[in-house]
This record gives sequence, structure tokens and C-alpha cells, in this order.
Amino acid sequence: MSDLAKRLDLNRALSVLGPFIGLILVMGLFAVLAPDRFVSAYNLKTIVTQTVIVALGAIGMTWVIIGGGIDLSVGSVIALSSVAAALFVRDGYSPAIAIVVGVVVGASVGALNGALITGLRVVPFIVTLGTMLMARGVAKWLGDEQKVDVPETWLDTVMSKNPDPSWLVLSPGVWTTLILAVVMAFALRRTVIGTHTIAVGSNEDTARLCGVRVSRVKIILYGIAGSFAGLAGVMQLGRLTVGDPTTAIGLELDIIAAVVIGGGSLSGGRGSILGSMIGAFLMAVLANGCTLTGVPNYVREILTGAIIIAAVAVDGLRQRPR
Amino acid sequence: MSTSALLTMRAVEKRFGGVTALGGVDLTVNAGEVHALVGENGAGKSTLMKVLSGAHRPDAGAMTVAGAAYAPTSPQGARAAGVAMIYQELNLAPDLTVEDNVMLGRETQRLGVVRRREDRGRIEEALAFLGHEDISPRRPVRDLGPGQRQVVEIVRALVGDARVVVMDEPTSSLSRRDAGHLFDVVRRLVKRGVAIIYISHFLEEVEELADRYTVLRDGKTVGTGDVVPGVAPRLVELMVGRPVTEVFPVVPRERGDALLQVDGLSGRVRPSGASFTLHRGEVLGIAGLVGAGRTELLRAIFGLDPIRGGTVTFAGVSDGGRSAPHRVAQGFGMLSEDRKEEGLATSLTIAQNATLSRLEPFSRFGILDLTARDRRAAELIERLSIRSAGPRQTTGDLSGGNQQKVAFARLLHQDADVILLDEPTRGVDVGSKVEMYRLIGELAASGKAVLFVSSYIPELLGVCDRIAVMHRGVLSKPRPAKDWDETSLLDEATRGGTP
Amino acid sequence: MNVMRKNLTISGLWGALLLSGLWAGGCDCSEGDGASGEGDGMRTIAVIPKGTTHEFWKSIHAGAIKAGRELSVEILWQGPLREDDRSDQVRVVEDVISRGVDAIVLAPLDDAALVPPAREAVAEGIPVLIIDSDLDWDGRVSFVATDNMEGGRLAARRLGELLGGEGKVLMMRYQEGSASTMRREEGFLEAMRADFPNIELVSTNQYGGATTESAFATGEGLLVSHEDLDGIFTPNESTTFGMLRALRDADRAGTVKLVGFDSSASLARALSEGHVHGLVLQQPFRMGELGVRTAVAHLEGREVDARIDTGVTVVTVDNMDDPEIRDLLVPDLSEWLD
Repeated sequence: MSDLAKRLDLNRALSVLGPFIGLILVMGLFAVLAPDRFVSAYNLKTIVTQTVIVALGAIGMTWVIIGGGIDLSVGSVIALSSVAAALFVRDGYSPAIAIVVGVVVGASVGALNGALITGLRVVPFIVTLGTMLMARGVAKWLGDEQKVDVPETWLDTVMSKNPDPSWLVLSPGVWTTLILAVVMAFALRRTVIGTHTIAVGSNEDTARLCGVRVSRVKIILYGIAGSFAGLAGVMQLGRLTVGDPTTAIGLELDIIAAVVIGGGSLSGGRGSILGSMIGAFLMAVLANGCTLTGVPNYVREILTGAIIIAAVAVDGLRQRPR
Repeated sequence: MSTSALLTMRAVEKRFGGVTALGGVDLTVNAGEVHALVGENGAGKSTLMKVLSGAHRPDAGAMTVAGAAYAPTSPQGARAAGVAMIYQELNLAPDLTVEDNVMLGRETQRLGVVRRREDRGRIEEALAFLGHEDISPRRPVRDLGPGQRQVVEIVRALVGDARVVVMDEPTSSLSRRDAGHLFDVVRRLVKRGVAIIYISHFLEEVEELADRYTVLRDGKTVGTGDVVPGVAPRLVELMVGRPVTEVFPVVPRERGDALLQVDGLSGRVRPSGASFTLHRGEVLGIAGLVGAGRTELLRAIFGLDPIRGGTVTFAGVSDGGRSAPHRVAQGFGMLSEDRKEEGLATSLTIAQNATLSRLEPFSRFGILDLTARDRRAAELIERLSIRSAGPRQTTGDLSGGNQQKVAFARLLHQDADVILLDEPTRGVDVGSKVEMYRLIGELAASGKAVLFVSSYIPELLGVCDRIAVMHRGVLSKPRPAKDWDETSLLDEATRGGTP
Repeated sequence: MNVMRKNLTISGLWGALLLSGLWAGGCDCSEGDGASGEGDGMRTIAVIPKGTTHEFWKSIHAGAIKAGRELSVEILWQGPLREDDRSDQVRVVEDVISRGVDAIVLAPLDDAALVPPAREAVAEGIPVLIIDSDLDWDGRVSFVATDNMEGGRLAARRLGELLGGEGKVLMMRYQEGSASTMRREEGFLEAMRADFPNIELVSTNQYGGATTESAFATGEGLLVSHEDLDGIFTPNESTTFGMLRALRDADRAGTVKLVGFDSSASLARALSEGHVHGLVLQQPFRMGELGVRTAVAHLEGREVDARIDTGVTVVTVDNMDDPEIRDLLVPDLSEWLD
């Protein structure tokens, strides 16, 4: 029996090991192709900083996907919250307030997603497809169909590769992401809402029978995804230094891809924050490596697509009954 | 006994639109008794359970638990009142661990963080109480077998301090040994003063386990009383409303030519080296415990699982494994054990499900003649007495037994020569079972070859011409059914015999 | 045992990926447009366009390669995946800095968003030269671009003359936040209002978006809502082509006068067919070439002008066969690009 248990543990470990091996291989590939350029502390720092936006989105998306849902609106929410936050900075409010505004805007759209999904009983794909367009429209409206320029503030430094107290080594944005990833991974396994999320994604009827308030769980789930998208939007504002209503178009697909590469199952129940973080990093490495080696853009797109399919295929092999 | 009535239902009624599901149910269950609730499929047992669990609110009538009025509006409400459900289709979240499943919805927490350690002791204690120390509370349910999952469900009720436990067909997916365990558990629960409402189609189980019974027919209580030895025929009479004379109808038939020959067939893990010959006009039974490899044998033959070795010879043509569509084209038909996940598309209509395997008769240049299809489905509904609103009713709305009949209807429609049946009567009421036995006999009599896997030994003995036993993946040599009896079959299934 | 087997399967899959990656990389090397491999002592200049799919950027690419060959400079050509993805362009600039180049020639997608990475490049000792659209930043070496205001004015004059100073005209804008096209739009409106007071501007607030498809769709909508239209101005290639398709679809090509910006083979054909009545041409090839040349001059320590105008011309059906114009209209880039 303990033998079996060990094998099962190994099997579970493999779910994160798969993407990890993929990451190592892709990094190895670029290290061989561009040894002096790819393998440098500066470049690694660059990649890690570039991962932040997708990674933040992927933390929330992991929860939604484990809960058996999908959120297509995150890309637009990132744009909306970056515009909303930019408006506040432009009007002279402290960047701290702008951050809160961005997160609250994101959380509101997320909670709206959850409320529509549970209240109208419309599938998440459709609801979030709708709010994706709505949030994009509202972002353009708020920004008067233009990007919103903001004065220079400390917000511009949260995504800087050379953080102000230099002992930070990585930008505050990276640290925030790492800390939140750890917190949310812990929350997924160790809190009531986390357990209920897995239960709802795994078997919604069961969860309902056991007295889990499924609707509430879903509203919270989408709220979480929205909050993280909102935070990502603020980070995007810090990075671009403009509130851009056209930013992050199609980013939701990158975010979903990161979760899927990391072992998330679109049928719910399965996935991990660590896996999703590896997935996000893998995609950033791929983009970076392709630029460094001067490979045309289409190769990067083909490779990313192949990796998504390979990751899911490998996961499928692992899932097959013994 | 009547002094300690723990749960009562008085004249409970429930209607759905124009359909009366419950038309006056009376039920009194005492503390410390096992109360068998029996009835045919569609008699209203499922609705009754839903009323008890708070999923439906009754239109009329009253319920009490321990003397207090009981009107649950949600599963939580039922549970808070001490009423726990153990459903036939197991209700667990496969991605959660055993302990998370047990505590789902009532986690011990502080500031939202689950305090698993505080419950683990109780869960381990309950597992030990059930004789299942082998299940680790931290294993994901995905990794457990059906018997173990059942145990987890019971642990859930135990840990929840339930006073009334409703069990719906709890042994239908269990091996004989697990079922024996379950009986022990039920008796221990009863000793604690728990009341068990035990829903089962296995009347010998009722005789063995229950103290009292209540029979439902057409949504009404038609009889209640003490379980005494030899009560089973009386129960059957109450259930069907008429005396049932022959449980295993004899359909005269003759064994014809060998149609299917399986030589040394091995799958990924099971079966290993299975061999037998199946003739036209013959019903060959396969006995064995759950997990012995019987389902895998059928799946390998039918092309659903890969074959590692051996050959399948059909009508003189040998091969080392073919795809399922190929098998269907050859004339194989299979009834899956798992009708909810695999056997039926529950969101489709009866007509769609029943005719899915052979649409050609209704298709002209690829366009379906829906009227002809409905006509055919109506014939099948009539022949199998499927209780439904018609061919266009959604299969998922039917009761379990009637869903199984739809799956059977598909086999009939497919007109397969070799029919593979995997637990065809599981979760089916007595009346329907008899119809199915007759049908199996008629199929064989019309020259079909039937392979019949079952965990219910009496039906194997009653229906089959020959029986082989599967033990840990090894199939014994088939012997005539009359050479077997219940004891020898059970003995060989549990200990293995000479192959 | 089982787990090991699965491990092998995983490795196998990744191995296949790795191979495909190597193949792609190798393939690129053999193309020999100097994208990879660092020659000893040879300078590398990164040229970062707004996108890689439009004809316009291909001309810039060709011009940059021409300058690179003549000056023995390696050109690293890298653009964002889509022409409207500011953050992906930021990423490209960062990656190029991280890789290490001698200079960056950048066509910024946004006049503000690209400032931080440009600033970072300078901090890392990499001079930045801006082409095509300006950046709101004074740290650049030079700004090599078309005078877009002037281009817009030229378009207005051409359209005004075509219509004889009378009629209804609309302008379909390109995209929010794109500085160069906004200048053209501004120049067009300014000249239109000043020189042709009798021409009515019926719509000037619709955006065609980044792609031909989106411009096509917007164009269709505009044509439906303005039945009695006389002239249209579109500020870049994708909006011009999208509008052209919409006009053809509505059977109004030729009747409604269309003056656009930039060229492509299909736009040149449309010009000769009389479906397009004027194209304001920039000189992207020259822009690419001058961008690289100016960067090299700066690297060699020579003084360079802070603003270099690459010029604009209006091409019509009458002058389109002049050899110089022909070169601008349908540039033969095969010598430079494969």
C-alpha cells in the first residue's frame, strides 16, 4: 500500500515536474543558441519582470479554472484597470490610491462575472466573453478613446529592473507577484474557500449536496480573478507609464495558456499555482529567447502553440489509468 | 418500538407539473432500526429521498425528526437536523482528498484556514471503525476504487453525527466482501441508536439486514411491517401489485455453432490469458468480485481497452484486437456498467440514445427521418416497458432502472450478434429485472450469443447456460450452470480455482 | 517503472520540441540576413518596427539592410507580434538591451509607453534613434521621419482639388494613440478647413483600428451611414486598403474619391484602375536606410541633425509611371529581403 501511495505522490509531483522539465529544456535550448546573451543575470531579471503581468493574471485564472470556469475578460480588465488607475494618477491622487482603484475595478468586474454566471445561469465562457467586450469598451470610454498620460510617480518604478533600494534585486512588482503566488497557493490547499473551489470544479453537484454555497464560491472565484487582473493592470500602467485602453488584447489567451501548460484542466478540479507560474515564465522565456536569437515572430508563435499542445498531451498520458 | 419514532412522514405528497411523484407517503422509522424502503423503479423512492434531503419541498404532508417538525430547505438543513444521505451514484469530488470530502461544507476553520489536523483523528477513527485503516485520509478520492469511495461516503455520515442515514442501493457497486463489511457497519451504526433507511433491490439483503420494511408503489405507501424470514415473496407482491411466479423465466433454446472464440486474451493489467468459446444461442456468465477484471475483459474484446496478447476469433476470422467501431460493424454490442458516464448520453432523448448505434434504417442520403426513428423508439419503449413520457423525453430525466432499459433498447435496435452485458441489472427493480432476464433468454433463443457479467450470483445461476469465474484477472474454464451453486461460485470468486 | 516510462515519454516530447526549435533557429541563420551570430568587431544595430507584416515595414527593413550592407553593420530586425501591442514592443526593446547591441533604431508604438525602455537603453550605454513616430523624450539621438502634418496637408489639397472645393468628405482615423497617423489626421483637417471652406466634413471621429479587417468593417459602416459621400481620407495603408475593399463591396469605388496614405501592390493597382485617387507616399526605404546611417554616424562620433525629414510625395494616376515615383509606389525589395 505504501508503495502505491509513493507512486501516487510521484505521479502528483510529475504534474508540476512536466512543465518544469519543459522550462529547463527551453532554457537549455536558448542557452546553447545564445550562450553569452541569454545566460546573464541581467537577462534573467528582464524575463522575470516581463512575466509579472501574465503571472498575476494566471494566479487568478488558476483559481477560476480549478473551479471549473474560465475568464475571458482578464485582458480587457487589465486595460480597464490601467486606464482607471491612470485617471487617478493624472488627477493628482497618490499612486497608492490608484493601485487600490485598479484592484477594486478589477474585483468589481470579476464579481459581476460571478454574479451573472450564477444569477443568469449562463456559462462562464459566454458571460466573460460579454464582459470582455464591455470592459474594453468602458476602458476606451474612460480614456476618451485615447491612452491616458500620467505624470511621473513612484508607480513607474514598481516594474523597474533596477529597484530603488538596490538590495531588493528584483522589482517590487516581481516580489509582489511571488508573495501573492505563495499566499494563493497556500490558500488553495489550506483554506475553506480553496477547498470549496476544488470541490466545485471537481463535482459541482456534490459540492452543492454537501452544503457548499456554490454561487458564493463562484462569485468569490471570479472576484479573485478580477482582483488579480486589476492588479496586473496597475502593473501594466507602471510598466507602460500610460493607461492604455488597447493594451493586453488577447492576453487572456496567454494567461489561460500559462495555466494549461502548468497542468490546469479546463474541465475543472486540477491545476496548481506553481505550475501556472512555471507556465507563465516559460512563455516569457520563449518570447525573450526568440528575440535574443533573432528568430522571426512566427517561429515564436508556432513554438508556443506546440508547447501548449505538448503540455496537455503529456498531462493526458499521465492521467491515463494505470 | 413505536415509542422511539425518530423520523416520521405523514401523507407526504409531491407533484411536478401534472405528474404526481408522491401521492401520500407514510413512513415511520425508529431509532436503532434498519428500515428497508423498497419499490420498483419509478415508485417514488428517489423523490422521497430528495424530499428527505431538502432538495424538494413537499406539496402536502408533514415530517418530524425526533419529535420536532422537519422541513429542510437545503442539504445543509437536512444535515443539521441529523439526516444524512448516501446516494447510489456516489457523490464525491474526485480531486479532493478523503478528509476534505468528508468535511466538505463543514470544515473546521480559523480565519478561513482549514484546520485539518483537528478532524483527522475523527476520520481515522471512523475509517478504523469501518475496518478500512488502509484508506489514508490524505489520498485524493480519484485514486480510490468504488468500494473505498462508498466507505468515504459512510465516513462522511458518521463524522457528521447523523441520526438518520438514508442509503440508496449501497451495495450495488460493491463486491460481496465489501457488502459484508457494509452490513457490519450498518449493524454497528444501529447499535449506536442511528436509524437507517435502507433502499435496496436485493430482497435477500433486506431479509438479512432490515428490521422493518415499507413498500412504495406509484408514489404511495402500500405496505409496512416487520421483516420476518420468508417475507421476500410478500414484498415482491406488494411492489408489483401482483404475485410474481417465476423470477427467472425459462426460455427454451438450443446451443448453436461457436460464434466467438477468445484465446489467451491479455490486457494492460487484466485480464491475463483469458480463453473461452461462446456459441450462438448461449448465455455465458462471468462471475467474480468487483475489480477481478471482468469489465476489462469485455472492454478488451469490444476494443475499448488495448490488448497485450491473445486473439479474438469472430465467425472464423481471427484478430489481435480491433477498434470499437470495427467491433460494432462486425456485430458486437456492449452494455456498459457505467451507464451515467459511458453508457448513455443523458442529455439526449430516448430516441436518440436508443438508435445511436444504428441510424441507417432512418437515414436517406444522410438525412434522418425523425418520425420513423420516433416510431422505432416507441416500439422499443413498449417492448421494454420503459416508463417515460415518450421517445423525445430526455434520458437524464428517467429513473436509473429506466435509463438502463434505454441502454438495453439500443442493443436490441443494433441487432448485434454478440452481446456483451456488464452488470445489466444493477440498480434495476425486481419487475424490470425479470423482464430483462426474459429478454436475455429470448435474445439467446433467437440465435444471439450473450456474455453476461454480474456480481449477483443468483441471476447468473438462473439465467446462464454456462458460467466461468474471474479471479484476479484469470478466467476459469466455463462449466455448465447446473454444476455450480452459490457457495461454489462464491468460493471460486474469492479464492480462485483451477483455471 | 511506470513513472520512469512516463518520464521518458515526456522527455521525448520535449526533445521533439527542442529539435523543432533548433531547426527554426538554424533555418534563420542560413537566411543570412544577419540576424544572428556576432562577427568580431562588427557593429550590431537593432531596428525595432511597430509591426512586421505591413508593406511599409518591409520597406524600412530593406532600407536598413541596404545601409547595413554598405556600412558593414549587422541588422537585428525584431518587432512585436501585433502592430498595436505596446507592451510587447516594450518587451522587445528590453530583450534587445539585455542581448546587447550598439544602437537601437526604434519606431515607437506609443509616444510615452516606450520612454522607460528607451531611457533604460541609454542608461545601459546604448544610443536610441527614433524613426517614423516621435517619442516624447529628449534623450534620442535623432528623429528620422516623414513630416506627417505636411503629408496630411498634401492629402487634403489633393482631395479638395479633385472635388473642386465642394462636397461631403469623411476621414476614417487609424488608431487611438498612434502619433504619426494623428499628425496626418490633424494636418488633413487643418488644410481642409483652411483651404476648402465649402467642403463639409461629415465624419472624422471613427477609428479603423489596427488591422485591414477592422478598417474594412468600420469602412462598411461609414459607407452605409453616408450615402451621398464625395471623398474619403484614410491615414495609413491598412485603413486605405480596408476602405478600398469596403468601397468595392458597395460598388462605389471610383465614384467616391479616395485619398490614402502609403502604398502596396494592391493599392498601386487600384490607383491605376481609378479606384484610388491619390496616395501620399512616405519614403520608408529611405527612412530605414537613413535611420541606420544616422545611428552609425553617431556611433562614429559625428554630429547628426536632431530632426531628419525623409519627405512626402503625392502619387496620382498621372504621375504614377514616373520611374522615381514607381520606385516608391511598388518598391522592389527582393534585392534586400529574400
